[in-house]
Amino acid sequence: MTTRKFFSSPWRTLGFVALLLVTFIWLVPLLTALVTAFRSNDDIMLQGGPFSLPRGIVLTNFQTAWERGGLSRYLPNSFIITLPSLLLTLFLSSLSAYALARFRFRGNRLIFFLYVGGTLLPFQVLMLPVFRLTDALGLYDTFAGLIAIHTAFQLGFCTFLLRNYMRTVPGEIMEAARIDGCGEFRIWWQIMMPLTMPAIAALATLEFTWIFNDYLWAIVLLRNDALKPVTAGLATLQGQYIMDWTVIVAGALLATVPTIFVFLFLQRYFIEGLTLGATKG
Amino acid sequence: MLKEEGKVKKVLPILMAIVIVLGTVAACTPQTVTVEVPVERTVEVEVEVPVEKTVEVPVEVEVPVEKEIVIYNSYMSDPEPREADAGQVAMFEEKYPNIDVVHSTIAHEDFKQAIRAYLTASTPPDVMTWFAGNRARFFIDKGLIMDVSDVWESEGWNESYPAGFRAMSSVDGKQYFVPASWYWWAVYYRKDIFDQYELEPPETWEEFLQVCETLKENGVTPITIGTKYRWTAAAWFDYLNMRINGPEFHIDLMLGKEKYDDPRVEKIFTDYWAPLIEDGYFIDEPAAYTWQEALQFLIDGDAAMYLMGDFLRDSYPDEEESKLDFFRFPIIDPSVPIGEDAPTDGYFIAASAQHTDAAKELLGFLGSVEAQQYFADQLGRLPTNMEVDTSGFTPMQQQGLELIQGADFVAQFYDRDTTPEMADEGMNGFMEFWDNPDTIGDILARLETVRQEVFESE
Amino acid sequence: MERRQVLSKSAPYLFLIVPLIIYLIWVVGPMFYSFYLSMTKWDGLSAPVFIGLRNYQKLFKDPVFFVSLKNNLKWVVSFITIPVAAGLGLAMALNRTIPGEKFFKASFYAPMVLSFVVIGLIWSWMYNPAHGLLNQLLRMLRLDSLAIGWLSEKNVVMWAIIVVATWRQVGYVMVLYLAGLQGVDPGLLDASKVDGCSGWQTFRHVIFPLLAPVTVIVVVISIIDSLRAFDLVSVMTRGGPYNSSSVLANFMYIEAFNNYKMGYGAAISVIQFLISVVFIFIYLWRVLQTEMEY
Repeated sequence: MTTRKFFSSPWRTLGFVALLLVTFIWLVPLLTALVTAFRSNDDIMLQGGPFSLPRGIVLTNFQTAWERGGLSRYLPNSFIITLPSLLLTLFLSSLSAYALARFRFRGNRLIFFLYVGGTLLPFQVLMLPVFRLTDALGLYDTFAGLIAIHTAFQLGFCTFLLRNYMRTVPGEIMEAARIDGCGEFRIWWQIMMPLTMPAIAALATLEFTWIFNDYLWAIVLLRNDALKPVTAGLATLQGQYIMDWTVIVAGALLATVPTIFVFLFLQRYFIEGLTLGATKG
Repeated sequence: MLKEEGKVKKVLPILMAIVIVLGTVAACTPQTVTVEVPVERTVEVEVEVPVEKTVEVPVEVEVPVEKEIVIYNSYMSDPEPREADAGQVAMFEEKYPNIDVVHSTIAHEDFKQAIRAYLTASTPPDVMTWFAGNRARFFIDKGLIMDVSDVWESEGWNESYPAGFRAMSSVDGKQYFVPASWYWWAVYYRKDIFDQYELEPPETWEEFLQVCETLKENGVTPITIGTKYRWTAAAWFDYLNMRINGPEFHIDLMLGKEKYDDPRVEKIFTDYWAPLIEDGYFIDEPAAYTWQEALQFLIDGDAAMYLMGDFLRDSYPDEEESKLDFFRFPIIDPSVPIGEDAPTDGYFIAASAQHTDAAKELLGFLGSVEAQQYFADQLGRLPTNMEVDTSGFTPMQQQGLELIQGADFVAQFYDRDTTPEMADEGMNGFMEFWDNPDTIGDILARLETVRQEVFESE
Repeated sequence: MERRQVLSKSAPYLFLIVPLIIYLIWVVGPMFYSFYLSMTKWDGLSAPVFIGLRNYQKLFKDPVFFVSLKNNLKWVVSFITIPVAAGLGLAMALNRTIPGEKFFKASFYAPMVLSFVVIGLIWSWMYNPAHGLLNQLLRMLRLDSLAIGWLSEKNVVMWAIIVVATWRQVGYVMVLYLAGLQGVDPGLLDASKVDGCSGWQTFRHVIFPLLAPVTVIVVVISIIDSLRAFDLVSVMTRGGPYNSSSVLANFMYIEAFNNYKMGYGAAISVIQFLISVVFIFIYLWRVLQTEMEY
């Protein structure tokens, strides 16, 4: 529908304006963050707080956050940790989800509840047991240790979610493929996975955000500065007594850039998406 | 459909390849850092250094030297201390070229979690920053900290450190900790506002109350405070207790040797603290603000005084800093010894450290005159080593130094002097009291129960 | 043919073996270890000491536990209503070609992308009684009596935090429903229009039932997230003022990591876990019973 045609209906125009208003209110905290990142701390304090009118624009916060937060050093680390964890957990959970969604076998429900159960525990209580396990396996202070826990920890939620999405795919397609002589693995790879792409894309966006933004696991399982992810680096901007607000906010905004990119890149898969209409029914 | 499949088919193998590559990179990341020193490096030393050194060097040249490392983890994440910390490390590496320092800075709050992992890991950091007082004792008592009495001895700190600092670092006659820097607490105030209403910094409690009353009459809230994280309220408890009942009683209370429902404790709240709250001498809704947010009132001139540590100046806008000055917390009972809060930070070595010799070298350096002089000059904090030259200190530093030197006793601060659990309950109690001053009787009874549980059961 | 039959039978197990092993080692193992820890007295540094059920006895006499429980329940009720309805509504509204749809979708998702520290910081500023945006607006509208200390009044603070959490959660639910809507066959929608159904009827009788699997996910995660809530409380109030905004995860964190009582903290987590299990498993069991067989 062209824009003009869209606005030809008064109801729709009204609805659009309402949506715009709600969106704007929704964004106020973020706009505050944006404005704060361009002010100096002295400016904020002298003018009477974060919601005062700025005296001038300051560009140094981003630079300071970049340097003091060590972003150039830590950004690659974040990717080294996040990408393998993301891909491994998506891969493994789609395997599990397929088995759980499409096969009737002994232990299906038990295993399903096991996966769900794992998401119910807060990770803080797992922190020390996992630390001990990691240390015992000789993986303390390594990327591998961190990737392992991220992969394993997200398996529960991802399996649960993908299983549910996979259940919406009609069974006839797979039956047809089996009759044609397709092996299960091929069915999974060539039929189920493409059909589940919107869910996987949505999940990948969420998981990327969560794993990328994690830092407590990094704090506990890493000792060496050189391996830290960006979030741990940014956390050091919080001092013992002083919070350098403007720099912290600037740093946090910088850290969102990768996740926003991922969102924009993947959203076409789960928003505009592959329409499944043709293959269904 | 097929087109999409094709896309998926092409993309996923590439992604898998990336995973494998990254995974290999990750797996191949070295866990420990050992660097072999090529012979040329020692030649450099030979050239720069006068004759005495050449006696040592031939030994190094003959034997290919593997550089020693020491792993140093610090929580000095505030911007300026962090730079000073890095400076210290650079100075150390220059002095000891055969030792590499693997230096990591962790956010202050996170360090408190990480240290649990550090002290029990099979490959811990060697040297770490930590707080003096009960916080350090907690680990020392569990045998997780290395005895460094030999370093104290060889560095001569038994003479160059004041007895108080030596006592705070020792358990059963052995030293485990090296105190390095500290700062003072005082009542900071706006000189210009005081001048405006012709007020002098009060020395006694009566004078203090008069100052508050005058300020209030003129529409200025006397005292600002941000109690969201509670410790700012604990400061008032510390000082009132030390002024009314004396520092010895205060420390005994911290150590669980005195009772919370003792009438002397209750007096603090009913006779001194509650009147301040009820007379409206504090800002409204202090629990809504962090200490930094409450600073806004002082900056705006809506309030005139703030009981706070010296780090307050780090957060104060530079152009306004000249309007600040501080005075000692007013004396309530002149017959009682003067106690002050002066939280001290320092260093220790993990008992399971793997690079003991290098660690002790680093520790020795961090407590030395050289390092402390540098730190004090850079940050305006106070050093613990008495041999540091104080003549170059700023007027504020001198004033702070005099403040503490004029005290009879130095405490670490409520949540560092008593156990974490007692501190948590105690601070909750202060907050509850602030909301409902009348319920102090019940609050203290509850705190007493906690005290008994914490200190008297095993 | 026989080989394929054998492979078919064992197919699910083959698919599950690798993920399950990893999961068992890294998650289930530590989980059971925490159950064991809940029956010990442990400071996180020396060896744990077995004390049976003493931690639990202490827990049920601890007033902070009950305050936390109530707060978590407030959170659950809020999460399974508002973000679900709002997320679904937004997904429906934005699942069509309207101008700037990418902008809208990104805007509502944006709160998920910022770290909790910054969200907590900014909302604390908004709630600041003297200088915050909210109270400044209220004073402009002459509603001074409403300009309270949002994070310092003990009857209000938990709801103030839940507002922030909800604000964040809506985008998350929206994304899940958007993905789900991709699976709705447009042919069915056309058919219902031909049959003369109104928009609302189409939604109620065609779309919403088709979104059932997604709704199951959304309800489950809403319950889980509200029972596990930690970061916002930790950043904005640390459970204060004196525990009035305490939630189970924060309570556990303070006991375990601040007070060095790992055993007691583990016990709190176990109770939290059991509560979640009851909610979730009962719900899922019913869902599984009624699931259509494909």
